[in-house]
Amino acid sequence: MDLKDIKAIIDLMKKNSVTEFELEKQDFKIRLKRGSNGSGAIATYDDTPTLMAGQVLAAMPVAGSAPQIAAPVTNEQEIKSPMIGTFYRAPSPESAAYIEVGSEVNPETVVCIIEAMKVMNEIKAEAKGVVTQVMVENAKPVEFGQPLFKIRPS
Amino acid sequence: MFEKVLVANRGEIAVRIIRACKELNIRTVAIYSEADANSMHVQIADEAICIGTAPASNSYLRIDRIISAAEITDVDAIHPGYGFLAENAHFADVCESCNIRFIGPNSRAMNSLEDKAVSRALAKKADVPTPPGSEGVVDSEQDALVVAKRIGYPVIIKAIAGGGGRGMRVAHNDISLVKGYYTARGEAEKAFGNSGVYVEKFIENPHHVEFQILGDNKGHIIHLGERDCSIQRRNQKVVEESPSPLLDNPKFRKLREKMGKAAIKIAEAANYTNAGTVEFIVDAEGRYYFLEVNKRIQVEHPITEEVTGIDLVRYQIMLAMGEPLRHSQSDIQLKGHAIECRINAEDPFDEFRPSPGRIEMYYQPGGRGVRVDSHAYAGYTIPSAYDSMIGKLITFGKDRREAMDKMSRALSEYMITGIKTTISFQQAILQDPNFRRGVYSTAFVEQLLSGARRELIEVKA
Repeated sequence: MDLKDIKAIIDLMKKNSVTEFELEKQDFKIRLKRGSNGSGAIATYDDTPTLMAGQVLAAMPVAGSAPQIAAPVTNEQEIKSPMIGTFYRAPSPESAAYIEVGSEVNPETVVCIIEAMKVMNEIKAEAKGVVTQVMVENAKPVEFGQPLFKIRPS
Repeated sequence: MFEKVLVANRGEIAVRIIRACKELNIRTVAIYSEADANSMHVQIADEAICIGTAPASNSYLRIDRIISAAEITDVDAIHPGYGFLAENAHFADVCESCNIRFIGPNSRAMNSLEDKAVSRALAKKADVPTPPGSEGVVDSEQDALVVAKRIGYPVIIKAIAGGGGRGMRVAHNDISLVKGYYTARGEAEKAFGNSGVYVEKFIENPHHVEFQILGDNKGHIIHLGERDCSIQRRNQKVVEESPSPLLDNPKFRKLREKMGKAAIKIAEAANYTNAGTVEFIVDAEGRYYFLEVNKRIQVEHPITEEVTGIDLVRYQIMLAMGEPLRHSQSDIQLKGHAIECRINAEDPFDEFRPSPGRIEMYYQPGGRGVRVDSHAYAGYTIPSAYDSMIGKLITFGKDRREAMDKMSRALSEYMITGIKTTISFQQAILQDPNFRRGVYSTAFVEQLLSGARRELIEVKA
């Protein structure tokens, strides 16, 4: 078998999409195997798979800890936490709470304390209206963006 | 033993860290920005705290908010991942002063390696070769010219606080040096808040070879072999593999041992603890030069895990808990071959423009020797506020040939619709004859994209 014959076999293999060829004679054995980089074709993924055509897998359910966007009820507004820490309704355990349901607030009114790293941060309402709901229990941790109070703007 | 760990990161690395914690029975706290409310790391953590709006400067970079979150969830330690605050010595200090363990190198080591100029000096003292260059920061264009004359062109001007391949300018003569000096300084000031630059000999088309190191707090340091990260596009890594085909070349047989020893010498000089990576460049003649130390777990850590059989993130947590290293250098053996392809939400047919948006269909490859580290899922919307990497595809085989064949097979199975990805670009790399022969340098991607092989990347309509 000379090079011309081997080339002819390789061409035949390519033409007929044969991957492996082995020939054994009395004093001679040859094995040809086509590598995966022979054809230069980039396997594409646009062949529509048999199961999924047109279907979209269900999205992962969102865990409960993500902030819920409350459905707007009439024209109520939320005061959201600008930081992470522990929420306190009053300046000290003995004092009265800063605000209650029914309290009137204006932008400069301090509505609560959020404590982080031993620093007590006074949180302002930054809105004008009447408090309709207190959404967090005293001494509970709050995250960024968490709704603290609902107010009816005036 | 840590009972609870806060993961100060997002995306695939946050998922990776949470997995390692779960396997150690450690409870996990995820932090997230409003843009990441539906992100996978938030779903699988035991607790999750929203820490701000989408921009990293309002969330993942906010030390005060992260510490507050750590406080209200009462964690024992924080794992910073990579990027963001991972190499921020001040953040490590704040953690320590709040009695929270920082899962990473000690702050003294971070300061000894605080910037590239300081690290260069440390390497020189440790008798490790560095590219010829300036002693430290170059303060004027005159000084830059003097250094360039001494070491000879071409040179590269680098920001000392630079990273991710940014803040660099190459100069081939005095005119471009002066121009590059001022441009690099301006860019560095804007991007890193530090205009300090130094000048180094520019080694053309080097190979990027890095060594993974681990150190305990008793001073024991080992390396876990090398990774070849020369396949880069615009100085961003695209494909990584371990071991390096360059170091397997019989001509460079001794390099692996020499570079490994050099990596340990530098780590010891810096009193390094926990996980890190020592980066070198190697020129065509087999001369190696120290570049810098990455003081964090790296994106491409999985390929080292596959060839050594060692869980690096688990090791980080154990070392941070005060455990000693359980392996000596002679215990470390590299078996088989691993390759990683980074999958980015970018359009390779449109200058790699980022492609954020909603993933419609997602099917990730599997089978023997295939690993996917990703936070992506069908229905997930990739936010535009962060980097475009959506996952890493890693294959492991008994030799390089098998790892490559599996990678091509896995890439062809990987189905992501709704956004553009670099999967077809990766396939073109895997099928390139030079890549397959293991003959490539950092010039590889440039040559691939500009050459006649472009048609190989085109997806058949």
